[in-house]
Amino acid sequence: MTFRQARWDEPNVWDLIPDAPEAPPPAVPGIPERLRRREAVRWPELSELEVVRHYTRLSQMNFGIDTSSYALGSCTMKYNPKVSELLARRKGAAELHPGQPEATVQGALEIFWRLEKILTKVTGLPEVSLQPAAGAHGEYAALLMVRAYFRDKGLLGQRSEVLLPDTAHGTNPASAAMAGFTTREIPSKDGCVDLAALRAAVNDRTACFMLTNPNTAGLFESDILEITETVHAAGGMLYYDGANLNAIMGITTPGRMGFDVAHLNLHKTFATPHGGGGPGAGVLAAGERLAPYLPIPRIVKTGRKFHLDYDRPKSIGKIKTAYGNFGLDLRAYAFAISHGEEGLRHVSRRAVLNSNYLGKKLGAYLPRPFRTLVKHEFVLSGAPLKERGVRTLDLAKRLLDEGVHAPTIYFPSLVEESLMIELPETESKWALDEFAAAFERAVHDTPENLHAAPRNLSVSRIDEVRAARMPLLSWKDLRAATAKVETPSTVPSST
Amino acid sequence: MPRWISDEPGEEAALLEYLGIPSVDALFADVPKKARIGRIGIAAGLEEPDVVAHIDKILDRNRPLSKFSSFLGGRISTRYSPAAVDSILSRSEFFTSYTPYQAEASQGMLRALFEFQSLWVELTGLDVANASLYDGATASGEALLLCRRIHEGKKFLLPASLPWEEKSVLANYASGAGLTLEEVPFDPRTGRLELDAVRQALGGHDVFGLLADLPNGFGHVDEGLWDLKGILGDVPLVVSADPLALTVLEPPGSFGADVVVGEGQGFGIPPSFGGPLLGLFACRKEHLRSAPGRIVGATVDSEGRPAFALTLQTREQHIRRSRATSNICTNQSLIALAFVVYASLVGPRGLANLQTSIAEKARTLASALGSVEGIHSPRFDSPYLGEFTIELKHGTADGFLDRLRRRKVLGGIPLADPRPGTPVGPARILVAATDATTDRDIQKYVKGARTAMASVGGDR
Repeated sequence: MTFRQARWDEPNVWDLIPDAPEAPPPAVPGIPERLRRREAVRWPELSELEVVRHYTRLSQMNFGIDTSSYALGSCTMKYNPKVSELLARRKGAAELHPGQPEATVQGALEIFWRLEKILTKVTGLPEVSLQPAAGAHGEYAALLMVRAYFRDKGLLGQRSEVLLPDTAHGTNPASAAMAGFTTREIPSKDGCVDLAALRAAVNDRTACFMLTNPNTAGLFESDILEITETVHAAGGMLYYDGANLNAIMGITTPGRMGFDVAHLNLHKTFATPHGGGGPGAGVLAAGERLAPYLPIPRIVKTGRKFHLDYDRPKSIGKIKTAYGNFGLDLRAYAFAISHGEEGLRHVSRRAVLNSNYLGKKLGAYLPRPFRTLVKHEFVLSGAPLKERGVRTLDLAKRLLDEGVHAPTIYFPSLVEESLMIELPETESKWALDEFAAAFERAVHDTPENLHAAPRNLSVSRIDEVRAARMPLLSWKDLRAATAKVETPSTVPSST
Repeated sequence: MPRWISDEPGEEAALLEYLGIPSVDALFADVPKKARIGRIGIAAGLEEPDVVAHIDKILDRNRPLSKFSSFLGGRISTRYSPAAVDSILSRSEFFTSYTPYQAEASQGMLRALFEFQSLWVELTGLDVANASLYDGATASGEALLLCRRIHEGKKFLLPASLPWEEKSVLANYASGAGLTLEEVPFDPRTGRLELDAVRQALGGHDVFGLLADLPNGFGHVDEGLWDLKGILGDVPLVVSADPLALTVLEPPGSFGADVVVGEGQGFGIPPSFGGPLLGLFACRKEHLRSAPGRIVGATVDSEGRPAFALTLQTREQHIRRSRATSNICTNQSLIALAFVVYASLVGPRGLANLQTSIAEKARTLASALGSVEGIHSPRFDSPYLGEFTIELKHGTADGFLDRLRRRKVLGGIPLADPRPGTPVGPARILVAATDATTDRDIQKYVKGARTAMASVGGDR
């Protein structure tokens, strides 16, 4: 073991707040006395160096792609190119207000327009909107479009059910419910959609079937054409969850497979940074039946000029402020044109090659519940570890000690003690071998060591049960708890 | 092609050899022939210098805010952000990290998000905040859904003065849940919510919540908000607040708000043509389990040291699926980090002073524009901070703003709904003073406005 994370005993910001409340803020001219804040905002007054040092130290207690490979399945944690960061910070990109007149933001509209054109090709669907802030946001908007479509057909009451496989990402059923649909899970067979079960489930109540292909078990749904045909024959729509698009660029497209609408995550396939959980950038792509329902405004080109078109009477309207996460869209555009036709195909081919290679290597240590020809990710079962009193969670924590990020764990839930693993195309053979070696050390370590992991990070195993049982969600909660409890050593306080 | 994929001589061959296959093609044998495509149909890749040149050339067709005297505001701010904010955001341990599900590997981001939640709790006077939503408008949508979970009813009230795009976002959140929106009219003189209309709407006992914005869609501080909770009783009150305004105004939690949402982009992030933004969300402790989005909690590690972790995840989509409180997964963590870093750099006194100085400029600007023939400024007789609404007595807002633009003045945001077929109301423009506004900018605006109004007068 050679990895050691920094361990700074940083003072809590709130311990730096003076006990005596500051004088109230200055009177703002024209604001009546009764509307005024009577106490100053309780937050510390710090010098720039104090702030910079605090957050720099915090950053040293955090994994990132630049320091560690991330084996998170379905998250596509690929390298985030530096050139994209450079470009997104240009004045001509950052210093633009969405309220500026069209004539002064022609370049921004052109970036949107060009990226949309590329994404129509990548998805095989004729129209694209970049308005969604993230993948789940795109799902939700797409289902609102499906809903509006059936409303226009006079079938809103009838077409009320969304079908999805039991391997679906959690956002799928959650988005369907928010858009007003009931959801029904189709059981999988050998990790893929059971065509017979799907045939039995579709009927005239089916609004939509949501599917990601390859699915979350990393398997390509080879019956895809029969699946889309079955749902279409029953009068339903097909929704493509693009979270796993990194496996198929240049091989197939959602349009070619028969999907009517799709979302993509530019923060996965198109390498925009995840930012510790966001911001992402979502994409909505629609076939001809659903395109009129895309959010407004749409970007159109007339002659050499770009316009924001609000004249879409069937549109669902707006789903967020302004148009989309422009700063991220610009990064994704830089990624797309850098790779180009051959490059994007190579991205998917190498991602799938990496995944099959690592899958075969790790298959020596833990069972693979499904077929071994996989796409961008694969699933292992940690069930045999239970004989030694070890769980997948312990293995994940032990992997962190090796300086690599743990896989996605306990998903998909149809596999006992599952690990979902994806090391995308930007990881070299050397990095894959390092990961496999770390995995081998971890899986063969003693139960005591596995239970005691992690040891090399800024903290040891965290008591998450306590966090949920006794929610302490702000400095005020912490102060109140510290005041209540008698033995300070058991209390979360600054050290 | 870029060097983002390792390409050592023999590397791919070694991978293939281990798998015992002749070519990568074999790995796609499970994709049916009929589903395959020949080409994607896009151009060949570019080398990095060419990418930079190509994109810079396109970006040159933009005219950034620094080329103008800008009076643009609304939910999106053009406020200066200290260089140290971007310096910290550029720490790649932050910006290239994933959602901190593996808490032990992510204490830095978790601690920063905990600080962010603490700050929004402090600004709002409420009990708990989440770790961010997409933007202010979607935060309002999530607040609407929270209200429905904690109160019966079918109708949600909102001000008629709310910006049209937020109404549209809210309509989508409402429609999915089978709920309806009802607009509360405003007093034509003050722009304030008609409290009698609120009382009347409540009479039907079908209202599950009300949202009011602070400042409102006209940029004004609606004093009526301070009396709203008394009228609403147990019907939840949502306040959509500007965080800078909350550094000088009484926290909405103290005057009865049950949920406070807002747009946080102005704290540390450039406008970037409207994204990324930052959705702020806080509520009362008793409604915590109905709240959307990720939440960071404090706890301890196995040795009793303080530690942080995502908590109460049974509310979320990856656990609760169709019964989750929201579908949100990816949020705006990095922008939440920017928010708390910005506030810490400027400091509480600095923030209040900033709001005060912007408010003083806005007053100068409003009265200067009021001296222009044909402009009613400020249009509404109500207190305001950095923004206010003007109304043109003749001509259109677009024509007026276009004339100003030719003099390098971005005079504000027209309040009309741009969708065809929506009624053309009075020519109203939301005008913002900013930290960058100088006396010279104000003079330029006034001079340009005089000329514009005179020539519009000539057009008649």
